[in-house]
Amino acid sequence: MSELESLFPRLSGAEYRVTSPKDWRYNCIAWAAGDTRRWWWPGVPPEDEGYFWPPGAGDEETLDAFVAAFATLGYSPCEGGQAEECWEKVALFANAEGVPTHAARQRPDGSWTSKLGRLEDIGHPLRGLEGEDYGRVVRILRRPRVSTIQQSDTPPLG
Amino acid sequence: MATVPIAQPAESVEQRFRRLAAVWRRETAHLSSPTKMFAHPAYQEIIGLGRDAVPLLLRELELNPDHWFGALRALTGASPVAEEDRGDVEKMAAGWQRWGRENGYR
Repeated sequence: MSELESLFPRLSGAEYRVTSPKDWRYNCIAWAAGDTRRWWWPGVPPEDEGYFWPPGAGDEETLDAFVAAFATLGYSPCEGGQAEECWEKVALFANAEGVPTHAARQRPDGSWTSKLGRLEDIGHPLRGLEGEDYGRVVRILRRPRVSTIQQSDTPPLG
Repeated sequence: MATVPIAQPAESVEQRFRRLAAVWRRETAHLSSPTKMFAHPAYQEIIGLGRDAVPLLLRELELNPDHWFGALRALTGASPVAEEDRGDVEKMAAGWQRWGRENGYR
């Protein structure tokens, strides 16, 4: 069993692949948002550690704050994680207490891509990361797809 | 998850720091939440080393950078990250290095 499969048992037997080296500079929220230069997480300046969070999105670790953060990029809640040609989607994960833990971004082919903390980016089935640490998918967001640049795993703001 | 090996007798602060840092790295590498990363027992034990850990953390930030911002913040009360650098961990680390030099740690 690989290191990733021991962390995420649902990846065992699933189709997934590592698509980047390990990188401590950006996290899953940044990756889902198309930013590979910053670590995104809410906090209350100047009392926090200094991570990035979109101004006005709410400074608490709540699902509402994460939805608001992606709303600054044009995303709004929708029903399902199925691929839709004209929409790009993000899935938010939360633990049993409802605290957000992770975000994944859908690729045009309907598969999903995630940055795993300070580890690698991977392509994976949406539910493949559900489990003890990331909890489960609790919200799907979408925005109109504006460019074919999104065809690759490289986000536009890298 | 969240296992901290028992301290060895006569372990120096630096040895203890290195042991705890290795555990923390291994067990939190897949997490995005700084809250979760910093709540890990090994990370909290590093904070428990007190001000003696500050030079070790600053050196680690330089040589093997990682998310030591919570520990440095907890141990010093400082906030040296410029608003425009928020989230850019390399610039955040540079801000802490600068703070260290200005406060006699280098």
